[in-house]
Amino acid sequence: MGEASLVDKQAVINITGFCKRYKKKLAVNAVDLTIQRGEIYGLIGPDGAGKSSLMKAIAGVLSFEQGTLDVLGVTIDSEASAEKIKGRLGFMPQGLGLNLYGDLSVEENIDFFAQLREVQPEQLDQRKDKLLGMTRLDKFRERPMKNLSGGMKQKLGLICTLIHQPELVILDEPTTGVDPVSRRDFWAILAELLQEHNITALVSTAYMDEAARFNRLSLMYNGQILAAGTPDAISQQAKGCLIELTAEPQLEALKQLKIHYLQIETIGSRIRVFADNTSVNAGVKTVTDLLAGVKIKTIRAFDAALEDSFIALLRQRPLTDQTQKDNSIPRFDKPLPDDKSIAIEAKQLTRDFGKFRSVDHINFSVKQGEIFGLLGANGAGKTTAIKMLTGILPPSEGEGQVAGADMRKAGQLIKERIGYMSQAFSLYLDLTVMENIRLFASIYGVDRKTLKQRIDWVINIAGLAEVIGQLAGSLPMGIRQRLALGCALIHQPGVLFLDEPTSGVDPIGRRQFWDILVHLARVEQVAILVTTHYMTEAEHCDHLVLMYAGRVIADDTPTTMIESLQNEAGQLLEITTDKPLQALTLLEKENFKGVALFGKHIHLLALDVKRVKKQISELLTKHSIKLLEITAQTPTLEDVFVYRVLALENKELT
Amino acid sequence: MNFTRIWAVTYKEWREIFRDRLFFIMAFVLPIGIFLVVGFGISFDVEKITFAVLDQDNTAMSRDFLHRFIDSRYFDYKGHVQSEREFDPLLADSNIRFAIIIPPRFEEQLLSGQATSVQSLIDGVFPYRAEVAKGYVTAIIANFNTQSLAEYLARKRGISKGQAIAQVSPLRLESRYLYNQALRSQWSISSGLMMLVLMVAPPFLTALGVVREKENGSIYNIYASTISRSEFILGKLLPYLLISCLNILILWWLVMHVFGTPFKGHPFFYYIASIIYVLCTSGVGLVVSLLVRTQVAAVMLTIVLSFVPAMLYSGLLVPVDSMGRETQIEAHLFPTLYYLRITWGSFLKGLGWTELWFDVAILLSYALILWGIGFLNFHKRPAE
Repeated sequence: MGEASLVDKQAVINITGFCKRYKKKLAVNAVDLTIQRGEIYGLIGPDGAGKSSLMKAIAGVLSFEQGTLDVLGVTIDSEASAEKIKGRLGFMPQGLGLNLYGDLSVEENIDFFAQLREVQPEQLDQRKDKLLGMTRLDKFRERPMKNLSGGMKQKLGLICTLIHQPELVILDEPTTGVDPVSRRDFWAILAELLQEHNITALVSTAYMDEAARFNRLSLMYNGQILAAGTPDAISQQAKGCLIELTAEPQLEALKQLKIHYLQIETIGSRIRVFADNTSVNAGVKTVTDLLAGVKIKTIRAFDAALEDSFIALLRQRPLTDQTQKDNSIPRFDKPLPDDKSIAIEAKQLTRDFGKFRSVDHINFSVKQGEIFGLLGANGAGKTTAIKMLTGILPPSEGEGQVAGADMRKAGQLIKERIGYMSQAFSLYLDLTVMENIRLFASIYGVDRKTLKQRIDWVINIAGLAEVIGQLAGSLPMGIRQRLALGCALIHQPGVLFLDEPTSGVDPIGRRQFWDILVHLARVEQVAILVTTHYMTEAEHCDHLVLMYAGRVIADDTPTTMIESLQNEAGQLLEITTDKPLQALTLLEKENFKGVALFGKHIHLLALDVKRVKKQISELLTKHSIKLLEITAQTPTLEDVFVYRVLALENKELT
Repeated sequence: MNFTRIWAVTYKEWREIFRDRLFFIMAFVLPIGIFLVVGFGISFDVEKITFAVLDQDNTAMSRDFLHRFIDSRYFDYKGHVQSEREFDPLLADSNIRFAIIIPPRFEEQLLSGQATSVQSLIDGVFPYRAEVAKGYVTAIIANFNTQSLAEYLARKRGISKGQAIAQVSPLRLESRYLYNQALRSQWSISSGLMMLVLMVAPPFLTALGVVREKENGSIYNIYASTISRSEFILGKLLPYLLISCLNILILWWLVMHVFGTPFKGHPFFYYIASIIYVLCTSGVGLVVSLLVRTQVAAVMLTIVLSFVPAMLYSGLLVPVDSMGRETQIEAHLFPTLYYLRITWGSFLKGLGWTELWFDVAILLSYALILWGIGFLNFHKRPAE
């Protein structure tokens, strides 16, 4: 035990051979981890990867069975030893505002934490003013916590965790369920605060695209650390490159490529393949050679981002027994309209809850065979819109139509043509997979003759054959969501509504889920309306609608959305410097557009790339900040979302 | 012990209770509600038994006999019927609980010195009430017989009616009920309900207060901070104890002024004993909160652990002495029995320290044991 601390005296956290089990289940398995002072260290992985258990053990609020754990120079091996470090660390558990007190105001929450941590009153006032100012919560001092938005709750949580100025903060998924704008805000504040007091932070996240926020990170899966290091180093650990192409006919190209590649997905009209052990230079040729009788329209190869690398790493190591699904996904046993008629339509749809307008005159339409994405922050009105379209909630104004009929007045025949999978899905966790499917079959009135065939079809399409006898509650999130989808498909509906179907599901599970959706849309011409928080997922949609405060603020294909952002605001510049925080404040002062910090990089938008590059390099040199690299990139959908929402917020302020 | 930290928890909890409407209802409305509903609901006095009459004789004597029922406060006369058949629907629909049939030639037979019989039909669904009703009927008939005999003797021997009665029934029982002279069951029940309500409400509050934090994860604020476990338990439960101490006074007032039960004991003694009892029942809630993780489970377990002993084993409904041997042992394992003794002793018998110190001592040791278990099993670094 003493030896571990001798190895690395500087380390804030030192873990070797850590194991945690719950009854028979091994949650964390033989983890080694060292975190240095001043680092922002990330733990990235899906639900159930063991992140929370590890973080709780480090915070001294969970006992463990095996391994050594040194935190701030103290060996944690008992309740008594854990008490020694608690004054010096801050811990923020998982859940949006769940560790705060809903009936207390913002200020009362802070005061409670300060009293609990014995902060002197003079110090408290000073810190409180500063933190409230930084997080722009000072206007809401008197507001009860339960009336704050998700992003504000997390910022308040951060203040409460930092009020006693700990040396080490442990934040468990602080950005889960928070919209992209608030997420960026949260990261900026965190980075600034940590830098100021040289605080070390251990932060977990389920969003792969947040990896760039960390100095170093560990990828966790199934209780183990899959890879550790800087974000770039991890991406490079997965040998291979990504190839993206558009081809006609897409289905044929997909079929041919699936024979050779395991990691393949379609994103709208594009196909994306991870080619193992292939360099970027060789990638295009390798893939082109494999395709025959297919017209390739565009093709390019590039280095994979973390999410693809994560999946590749999982595949390349024998950690998962990923069974490759064959191409013969069973067809519907009843014919569906093959035409491109309009399946879902919202006309001036509006809903008020008392004085609050949740959905404000929205219009959009979804064709058969289209995957339609509804994006927006928590409380933007997505769920309310879906509930009105499916006839669960009566609109205050306007109407919603499915297959040409108002769902509220529609007959049973039309109602049988839609499938709905709600946010907190209504699976019966104490029933087995088979019992759940049978239950839904009888709810939807599948007749006896087709019952057996239909159940087999659901098991097949959702890939549930191996878990058929297990309790739904014992399944991992990914499989559980596939079961939920299968149950919503039991009556082979022509229109499918999915409300945040993949939150909490790991990247592999999300891909498998989307594979099914793409198949349903392309082959069976099912119209799919889906809401999601993951911007990377939004790219899979054929068409997107962006909602903000109940209104539709953008309505286009993903590609056009990105293009119009480029036309309006320009390219994305990624700037790497030796003093990122100073550079950030400097650039913000100079009124560049969309300045945001990503770990050690700074992002901003620029129309005239050449001129702005020159401007920045001069500015930084003047303030003796070393410019290491500056590259232009295509903005992502997240950039679109943040840009559009911020533009509106600014307009509302003035 | 650090008082800043205890105060932080107490003050936070206090504001939450008063801002969360549900919790506020749980704290004040629920105990008083239970008390009033059960207090007015449970009554063992069998009075106003509804009945109807079939008088096939219809003479002065039959009417005189029937008036003994009609005029009694134990019976509630609903009317005459013309045939025996009419009783069936009345009894079946519970419009009457009891019917009496006077045979033809009732007066004639009695005057001629022959015996006759009246028939009574009693609703036997609720045996206790049926037994009591039968007792009343028997008593009225016995009285009628005595009087008839006395009148006959008085006429025959030319003595006064008083002398005649003395000769017919030379030995009479005079009973006087102590502590509750009128045998009003509401006196016993209402005061006894303090035991029930104070057994149920405090553990509900404490268990929910702790489990709520466990369920939504805010308990991690406590786990991750420097507050010690005794500071937390104390700070957390202090508001609930205060509320329960206030509830003791409210209930006490209701027992005396709404149910009119006299208080003959020593107020100071009874209040101290009641606080010890509340400490004890809050301890039950503390232990429950350690065993469960969700608020629903906490409610279920608290109901089982509090209602059952309070209703069945305390002696409120059935005297402990008349329970079976095993049940008597079980009854002594729960604190309710001792507090009920203290309550009845204080309200009805006017007892105090000298007579009841042992029961108070038992309650105190209960409280110490439960809080001890609570303290020792609360961990800031649990295994899951």
